[in-house]
Amino acid sequence: MRKRRNLTKTALLLVVMALVAAACAGDAANQTPETVVVTSIVTETVTETVTETVEVEVPMADPFADTAVTVFGPESGGAEEEAMRAALDLFAAKSGIDVTYLGARDFSDQINAQAAGGNPPDIAVFPQPGKIADFAREGFILPLPSETEAVMNDNFSSAWTAFGNVDGVQYAIPTKADLKSLVWYQPARFAAAGYTVPETWDDLLSLTDTMIADGNTPWCVGIESGGATGWTFTDWVEDLTLRFEGPEYYDQWVDHSIPFNNPQMASIWQTVLDLWNTPGAVFANSGSIAATSFGDNGQPLVDGKCFMHRQASFYSAFLPEGTPAADGSEGAVDVFYFPSVGDEKPVLGAGTLVSAFRDAPEVWAVMEYFASADYADARQRFQALGKGAAVTEGVLSGFLSPNVNADLSLYAPLEQSFLDILNTADIVRFDGSDLMPSEVGAGTFWTEGTSAVNGDKTIQEALDAIEASWP
Amino acid sequence: MEKLLTTILGVVGSVGISAILFIGANMIFDLAPRHWKWFSALVGFLTTSTVFLILWANDLLLSPGTVTLIAITIGTVGGFALGMTSNRWLRFAYGAGAGMALGALAGSFSQNVFGILEDGTPVVWPARPDLQFGPLLGWTIGGALVGLAIWVLNSRQKPAYRSALFWGTVGWIVGAYMVPSLSSGTQSDAILAGTVLGFGIGALPGSKPLASALERNRVKEESRKYIFLAPAFLFIAVTLIIPTIRTLVLSLRDRRGDGFVGVENYKAIFANSNTFDLSDWRLFFTSRLFWIGAIIVLIGFVIARVRGKEIGTRIQGSPPSYATWFVGGLLLSAAALSVLRGTLFNNLWWVITVTLVATAMGLGIAVLADRAKYESAAKSIIFLPMAISFVGAGIIWRFMFQARQPTAAVPHGGQTGLLNALWVGLGELSASTWPKLIALTLVGAIAIGLTVLATKAFKDRAMGLAWSSTVALVPVVWFFYSLIVGIGGWANGRGEIILFIQNSPFNNLWLMLVLIWTQVGFTMIIFSAAIKAVPAELLEAAEVDGATESQSFWQITIPQIVPTIGVVVTTLIVLVMKVFDIVKVMTNGNFDTQVIANEMWQRAFTELNFGLGSALAVVLFIAVLPVIVLNVRRMQKAV
Amino acid sequence: MTQLSVPAAGPRGPHLGQRVYRWLASIPTWILWGLVIVWSVPTFGLFVNSFRARDAQIASGWWTGGGWTLDNYAQVLTPGGGSKGLSDALLNSLAISLPATVIPIAIAAFAAYAFAWIPFKGREWSFVGVVALMAIPAQMSLIPLLQLYSGGGHWTVPFLNKTITVFPDLSLAGQISSVWITHTGFALPFAIFLIHNYISQLPKDVFESARIDGADHFTIFWRLVVPLSVPVLAAFAIFQFLWTWNDYLIALTMIGANPANIPATVRIASLAGEFGVQEHVLTAGAFVTTVLPLVVFFSLQRYFVRGILAGSVKG
Repeated sequence: MRKRRNLTKTALLLVVMALVAAACAGDAANQTPETVVVTSIVTETVTETVTETVEVEVPMADPFADTAVTVFGPESGGAEEEAMRAALDLFAAKSGIDVTYLGARDFSDQINAQAAGGNPPDIAVFPQPGKIADFAREGFILPLPSETEAVMNDNFSSAWTAFGNVDGVQYAIPTKADLKSLVWYQPARFAAAGYTVPETWDDLLSLTDTMIADGNTPWCVGIESGGATGWTFTDWVEDLTLRFEGPEYYDQWVDHSIPFNNPQMASIWQTVLDLWNTPGAVFANSGSIAATSFGDNGQPLVDGKCFMHRQASFYSAFLPEGTPAADGSEGAVDVFYFPSVGDEKPVLGAGTLVSAFRDAPEVWAVMEYFASADYADARQRFQALGKGAAVTEGVLSGFLSPNVNADLSLYAPLEQSFLDILNTADIVRFDGSDLMPSEVGAGTFWTEGTSAVNGDKTIQEALDAIEASWP
Repeated sequence: MEKLLTTILGVVGSVGISAILFIGANMIFDLAPRHWKWFSALVGFLTTSTVFLILWANDLLLSPGTVTLIAITIGTVGGFALGMTSNRWLRFAYGAGAGMALGALAGSFSQNVFGILEDGTPVVWPARPDLQFGPLLGWTIGGALVGLAIWVLNSRQKPAYRSALFWGTVGWIVGAYMVPSLSSGTQSDAILAGTVLGFGIGALPGSKPLASALERNRVKEESRKYIFLAPAFLFIAVTLIIPTIRTLVLSLRDRRGDGFVGVENYKAIFANSNTFDLSDWRLFFTSRLFWIGAIIVLIGFVIARVRGKEIGTRIQGSPPSYATWFVGGLLLSAAALSVLRGTLFNNLWWVITVTLVATAMGLGIAVLADRAKYESAAKSIIFLPMAISFVGAGIIWRFMFQARQPTAAVPHGGQTGLLNALWVGLGELSASTWPKLIALTLVGAIAIGLTVLATKAFKDRAMGLAWSSTVALVPVVWFFYSLIVGIGGWANGRGEIILFIQNSPFNNLWLMLVLIWTQVGFTMIIFSAAIKAVPAELLEAAEVDGATESQSFWQITIPQIVPTIGVVVTTLIVLVMKVFDIVKVMTNGNFDTQVIANEMWQRAFTELNFGLGSALAVVLFIAVLPVIVLNVRRMQKAV
Repeated sequence: MTQLSVPAAGPRGPHLGQRVYRWLASIPTWILWGLVIVWSVPTFGLFVNSFRARDAQIASGWWTGGGWTLDNYAQVLTPGGGSKGLSDALLNSLAISLPATVIPIAIAAFAAYAFAWIPFKGREWSFVGVVALMAIPAQMSLIPLLQLYSGGGHWTVPFLNKTITVFPDLSLAGQISSVWITHTGFALPFAIFLIHNYISQLPKDVFESARIDGADHFTIFWRLVVPLSVPVLAAFAIFQFLWTWNDYLIALTMIGANPANIPATVRIASLAGEFGVQEHVLTAGAFVTTVLPLVVFFSLQRYFVRGILAGSVKG
């Protein structure tokens, strides 16, 4: 039995207080930098309070006095939002810009309304490069000035900056990365049953068959996600497309230079559905795959109701409270790379990028901060704190920075390995549904996919409907 | 603390300013009968300040502050003078003089502003017309002639010169400000144009005789309807009418509203098989729901016929037959709409089911609660869901509908959703031995009791009770029978779950349940207020005449609250037709649960396809319109 | 008074016995309380779950209990890093809901009175027109209104092709006033409809005698109509307060990216997290935001008590 550990409870509260010393009075010519004390308090559920003091040097002559920048994004609730805010507060304390962040879960719809209504934020955090391209062509967002772009280029590989590039012009800076080609599992349970981590797609299929034969359920799958039901299915399709058809096909498929309902796509859908519909292959916690919330699969995975769960790097947040990660302990979970077909190991990623709507020095200052390693490190540190890193080592923050200058030592070993995969993979592709126009990527690809999974439509019917909906 | 203060200030300020504006408007017109000159001065003050503030806001004035101040003074004094003088010539001089002064003022301080709009288009705000005397005279004289012609057509009632003056002024506006270029004139042009315009406008009130006492009273009386209606129309115009016109225009344009595409968007809506799917219509007649529904409706007719025989008419409606028709009708509509699929039919299904059920339940609860002890406690609990946001409601019903892969070893299969737990639990009950026997005994006893009751009541000629218990017997017997043959989620020794949200088409009904759950509180409150407004004398009189409770309910209360039923039904139809939040939160249109409003949201907001989104909005609007118009017209006639 | 739908017990049914009838007479009450229980079960389930940890919520039904914690409430109530706590959001909600309730009631009551009792040309059809606007899906008005608030109203004069600023750019977008102005407009058709239905049924002779006494419409409205209409005004006040209090979409759209002015619903909804990982916190959030509306309901509900209307008509 696992011992109940009080210390691994999620930290509740994360406050960054900027106390600007009022020493500027007196000699105005005194240009020595003032020290600003930034205090971050993490309150443990009942007992513990962790105070972190960050010393910041602030120049007396503040070019950004009385300026304000608003940031709007999808990261909301819990550690993600607090860490984003804390990282921005830190910058606000340094620069004197009043930076406010608002997170909304239905960001994607709202940013449309705000942009069309003439009331956009100064900076938006986009989870979909497709939307960035759309907004760039509409003229809603601004191209990066060359200095900002230079800062960005110092910090990111071209594989990641490319997602913010529209028709050869750079509009956005990557700020967060998710690694999607991962399978979560429990090494101890694998070892006990004598299973080994599969290296190839065929291995994976035969492992699936072995598990079924042993009376075990290999997979946990759930594609329910409220208004976004179906995205888990599209992730599987994208990952397999990248594996079976290669990156070139993937790019053409994403930008619609080949029709969506082409035969290869049909066969990939068939592969996914064949695997899922194999009797005994899938444990669906809520009775059917389409009914099961993807977030509810953590418990059955830990309970051994299934052995594998293909889900992105941020899934650590959905595991039951106190589940250890890759520390070799009995109940610990770990991940393996979602196996590939050939020698190449393509990686499906996702993430967020920031774009600016207003042309002002303070806005670009914040954008440059987003591009810097300072942001990546501050965000990671606060997010890990928020997840309880103050009280336990090796806590998964759920945050990954694509910034090449990010401080890897701030990450738990498992997440370091994620970053390693992201940084070294030969082929990295962004989640295809995030690149497609929203009619498809946030519309029919999800809904028709759900219909096909649920058996309401045949694969061909669903593919034809998606193709017909492409604008 | 500071926040609290600003909040209080904000609330008090906004409410206070609205109140002051409104009461102030009424008080201004209260001045009219007794203090005409002050009223007249105020009118002058308000008119000039409005005009000059608009000029100021559009950047048309040089040193706008001073000019506006002077103008307002002139206007106020002019108004005052007009309000106290009855000498015809003096009046004309005051009116025309003030008008000309104002016009000259505006003209001489006019400026042309060259600016750039936010979207980059250069704009010239016009102020100085480049007068050309030929067309100017032509338009003015033409206008005056039109005025004379209108005067002739109007059977020469008002003085001819006033009509000529008015239309001549209109002609001047056209000739001076609309025909020529407005950005290339000189200052003297602007002064001339303004002065003549001011003369025309000022001479109009100046040429009227001083208002008599009767007229002053009429001004006050007439003002009321405008003051009463103006705020409502202002808000409605800004928030509803203007955006709707825009929606209409956009619905004929392409995705981003750039090019005209005619009715393409509307065609796209009806060509989509997700909107409209009649392919399975034959299944209607073979479905079990249809037959059960039809039989129940027939039973209602049988009851009505039997009762009709008693009093010698063909058929006689009574609560038991109303109830059976109601249930049967609901089943028939469910039978029809579970085979006719698509967004439009979904909406229809929602409207029928939610409107009927929520109205009936709200009325029933209001009546029951009206007589019950602890009325307010019961009503508050029924009302509680109204106070919960849709986000909260979504979470609540997730906990109700959720299913879990059943595990045999655990009670109710380890369900986490209440409904599935009950369902699997029911299955466990019907698969057990002793608990099942106990349940059968209980249900059996109820059935026997109902039978005895019904027989006795028939014998006693207490027909309402007799039929009610007979109707109530049907589901009890059915339940007894199903308990024996097996009911609930249990088969082959294991639990079976219902995927309430995923199994089409009846998942629609479960989503409707959520809306019914929230809306019954709404209908109940309105019915409750209406029932309490039924004059007590009427009910007392009926009681004295020996009417039973149910008779006085059907014959007195119901007719009294018919208008309220109309309001509730109309409101519900509109509200349900526009249903959006629940579907968005629970399924977002997946699993064949799409409705028009959510589809509209997805097109317009998720995909920024304003053309299609607007067309859907128009379809929604037009579909509800006849319901509202017919209902409201009928209610107006009834009053 | 006996209960409903019970036939006269009197002489026609002596052998069934008074006791049986008395027992039957209580059936409607039992039905009522049965419904009350059924109606409250879902909310009660949420209430129980709001005290349970996420893992417990996922793993077992609320009726089984277990996993008790106050964490959910703690997360809802405590301010997070740099962000203001829920108290600010609740104040914002009030700052939106109060004007959005009081102002439309006043405006609609006046308009309803005019439609009901002041004769003018085209009265019936303009009333139908106003009520018909209820059918407009409000979502489609959001973007044009946001444009109005963020950039002012401009009108390009036909034929002249000159653009005039009709409504100045007051930078309302992101401000609380933009939300209640929107709510006010959207609420009016229904408010006028509901209140008109009530006012138009008030006894005609009351108005006629007042008119003969020389009272004008303004006086009649304040002295007679408002006191007589308290039940309907209170009913509408409750609905409107709840709708505006619980509104999410309009507030989020009009406030945009201005965290200082977001109301409680937006704040609570954002607690759920991008992928819904924190959805269990919403259980507590739903309760915290429901408390105030319930207080409003309980304080207004005495206006529904029988007699207010009857008494005032007689008096």
